[in-house]
This record gives sequence, C-alpha cells and structure tokens, in this order.
Amino acid sequence: MKCPLETRDREILLAYSSHKLDAGEILSLDSHLENCAGCRDFVRAQRAICDALEAWEAPPVSADFDRRLSRRMDHQVSWLDRMMQPFQAFGFRQLVPIAASAGVVLMAGLLLERTAVTPQAPQHDTAQMETLQPEQLELALDEMEALSQLSRPVHTDNADSKM
Amino acid sequence: MTALDPDAELMLRVKDGDGASFGVLLDRHRVSVVHFLYRMVQNHAVAEELAQEVFLRVYRSRATYEATAKFTTWLFRIATHLALNSLRDGKHERAQERLDDSSSDLPARQVRDVRPSIEQSMVSEARLDEVRRAIAALPEKQRAAVLMHKYQEMEYTQIAKVLTCSESAVKSLLFRAYETLRARLAHMA
Repeated sequence: MKCPLETRDREILLAYSSHKLDAGEILSLDSHLENCAGCRDFVRAQRAICDALEAWEAPPVSADFDRRLSRRMDHQVSWLDRMMQPFQAFGFRQLVPIAASAGVVLMAGLLLERTAVTPQAPQHDTAQMETLQPEQLELALDEMEALSQLSRPVHTDNADSKM
Repeated sequence: MTALDPDAELMLRVKDGDGASFGVLLDRHRVSVVHFLYRMVQNHAVAEELAQEVFLRVYRSRATYEATAKFTTWLFRIATHLALNSLRDGKHERAQERLDDSSSDLPARQVRDVRPSIEQSMVSEARLDEVRRAIAALPEKQRAAVLMHKYQEMEYTQIAKVLTCSESAVKSLLFRAYETLRARLAHMA
C-alpha cells in the first residue's frame, strides 16, 4: 500500500481513525501502519482529537423547548396561515400568475383612483376667450381712435391750404 | 426508482396538513439540531432560540416543500445558515464571554465519570474547555464541517450539499480543520 501521507490520500487515514473503514481496508492499513511511523503518528493524533471531541457533550434540551416553540408557532404562524389559507391548495408556480394578475388589478385601480382624484385642469380656451373679449374690444377702440387721429391731419391740411 | 427518505415522507404529510407528522419530525431531530447549534455558537440559550427558528422555518415552508433532497440536508442547511448569521451578527461574543468565564453554564453531567474526584473533574473540565476553544477558533465553515462530520456522522456528499460546495471542498475544509485541531490539541495525544 502506498503511504497516504505521501499520496495525499489522507481521507483513508481520517476514516481509519474514526473507525469508518470496512474489514478489508482496515487489514490493509494495519499492515501499512506497522511499517510507517508518519501514518502511525497521524492516526494517534487524530484519534486523540476524536476522543476529545467525543467527550464534549452538549447540555440537554430544555424541558419547555416544545412549549416555547408551540407558542411561537401560534404567534408567528397563525396569522400567516390565515392569510395563506385560500392559497394553500396551490403550488408556487400556480401562485405566480395569480399574484401577477392581482398586481395588475391593483395597479389599474391605483391609476383609476389617481385619475379620479386629479383636479380637472382649468379650461384655458374659454377663460382666454373671456379675458380676450374686452382686450379685443379695447384693441378695436384703439384702432378706431387711431383712425380718427389719422383723419384729423387731413382736415388740418385742408385748413392750411384754405389759408 | 429510489425510495423516498422517511423524513421527507413525513414532511410531505405536513405539507398535506398533517400536524402530527411535524411532531414526529420534531421528536426525531430536536436534539441533533439543538446540539449542533450549541456546538456552533457555544451558548445554550442562543442555540435553543436558533433551533426554534429552524423548526419554525421548516413549518412555514411546508406549502412549498419539494422532496428533492434528504430532509436532514435541508434541515441542517437552515440550521447552518442561521448559525453562521448569528455568529456574524456577533451573538457569539456572548458565547466567548462564557468561555472566558470560569463558571460555565454547562451542567455537571458533561463530566463523564459518575463520581469523579475534584481533581479529575477539574482536569476534565479544563480539557473540555480547550476543546471548545479550539473548535470556536476554527473558521466558521470548517467548524460546521467538523461538527457535521464528527457528531452528525454525515458523509462528505451530504456535508457538501448542506454547505453548498463541492465534495472536494468539504474534504479540504475537514483536513485543514483537523490539522488545526491536531496542532492545537497535540498535548492531548
């Protein structure tokens, strides 16, 4: 057997140290370890690590773990369940078009509402007509006055010529 | 056709509205999830809080559950994700404080001897403390890989799926982690 430390095949040494090899592999590696100090040291150190980790027990789970979980589920899951109840029968893929349709309807509703609420723009044409009418009248009066002024010098000239 | 993972079958029943099956899943995995999280964050209260969040997420996700992988792969993926987030959020600092504190919150049952002498207890506790520190000093992913390999006895393929990386990456993580542990705890050999 080639030395796992030299061939970088240390996986087999880890498995051997954790007693995870089958009988054939163990026999093969046992005979290698008799002649390989490097692999023997590796296995000894790795087994020490495994034993040390083995001794590290976690504390027991609290007796009220399930009760606390149940309470959290009541608080956090119930309202979500109630909301999702009508959709429970659908899969995720079926929910996508439903959600998209709901979005479109919502957007359309918002747009319609916005249009209804927006104040109507003042009808400038009518207002302009109303405001322009006196101006036009004024302009017309001005023009008439200008015409009458134009006609005055003609009379003067006539008077001069008479003189 | 491969048989469906029994836990996945239970989860599919939960999906169909069978609450009792969720109770069975909880009974089966409560301890392993809490213990895994405890060894990740090294604080019992935080570990239980995170474990509750794991089971809550499992229950909440029942409607969209698909039995595409082993149930435990999915379960430990959620647990690892929450543990890593918790460590990054700094909740682990509390655990470190506890490690620094000589009065650990660990119950006396952690000492394996039935009636150890005071000296034996102290030696045992000191060794455990060293192990805990050595594990806590590992980079997060190496820590998760070692804990799943050692305590959950997961295969490389499953650890790879939990950590969403390749099998060779898991082997590399494990070798580096054990190398560090062998160096730190060499005096225990």
